[in-house]
Amino acid sequence: MTDAEVAECLARGREGDEKAILELFHYMYPHVAKLVQANLPARESAEDLVQQVCIKVMAHLNQFSGKVPFLHWVSRIAVNTCLNQIRHEKRRPEVRLADLSEEEAKVVAHLATSRGELDASDHVASKELVDKLLGALRPADRLLMRLMYLEGRQMDEIAGLTGWNRSLIKVRAFRARAQLRRRYNLLMKENR
Amino acid sequence: MNPLDDQLDRLFRSAAQSSAGHPVSAPFYGLETRVMAAWLAGQSVETGFWDMTLLVRGLIVAGLIMAVSFWPVLKSTQNSTEGAANPFAEYLQLTDSTISSDDAP
Repeated sequence: MTDAEVAECLARGREGDEKAILELFHYMYPHVAKLVQANLPARESAEDLVQQVCIKVMAHLNQFSGKVPFLHWVSRIAVNTCLNQIRHEKRRPEVRLADLSEEEAKVVAHLATSRGELDASDHVASKELVDKLLGALRPADRLLMRLMYLEGRQMDEIAGLTGWNRSLIKVRAFRARAQLRRRYNLLMKENR
Repeated sequence: MNPLDDQLDRLFRSAAQSSAGHPVSAPFYGLETRVMAAWLAGQSVETGFWDMTLLVRGLIVAGLIMAVSFWPVLKSTQNSTEGAANPFAEYLQLTDSTISSDDAP
């Protein structure tokens, strides 16, 4: 859907056309679901959060000025909702080698012994291992690491999504990366 | 590059590929209805807010009209009360002038 089509849908929606609003919803839903799923590992609460974001977007649809693309506006609402939600989560304890599944332990062993990229069959285990490592970080740091390394977003994009300035992002990224390195190092020491 | 950083980067690259391939399921049952209800509620809040703004504006305009129309009446009342503020003023003034004329040689 182009920006012009979104604007047309919004105009129709203002006149009370429910079909237009449904079109907008179906347009934004995959984007919201993907963002929420990426930022919140637990699927059950992800569903609740998707609903929360969609309802928030629709309830404030009249406040969308059209100055930024519609999906950017939706993304910002989604990221802020995720951030608020994960702020309430507690940090998980340190990750120990004994807590890892067989596949995850295999990924750790592969990383330690080989310089090559991981196989496609290891992607899911890698994701689970990353989730465990990120779980020990502070919520804001966790979100930042996901946006940077899993979604590959640029600094400007992250600033737009979170409302944080560039220096705060840099400081947070540096600190979070250092913590990740320390936790990963502990895993490696256990692996030896 | 630090070997740990290199390993972490490879881990993240692999994990990112897993995230990218994750299919997004269709909206779950009932979400559409809830979303539409939220939109309708947002519309009514918007309308309600507009009504409230209109009411406040109306009250301000009505207040101004009342003030303008009552201004001459208020002014005249104020003038008459200024005179009547001290009922002995005229009497005292008269007495004073009588005393001063009596003292005159």
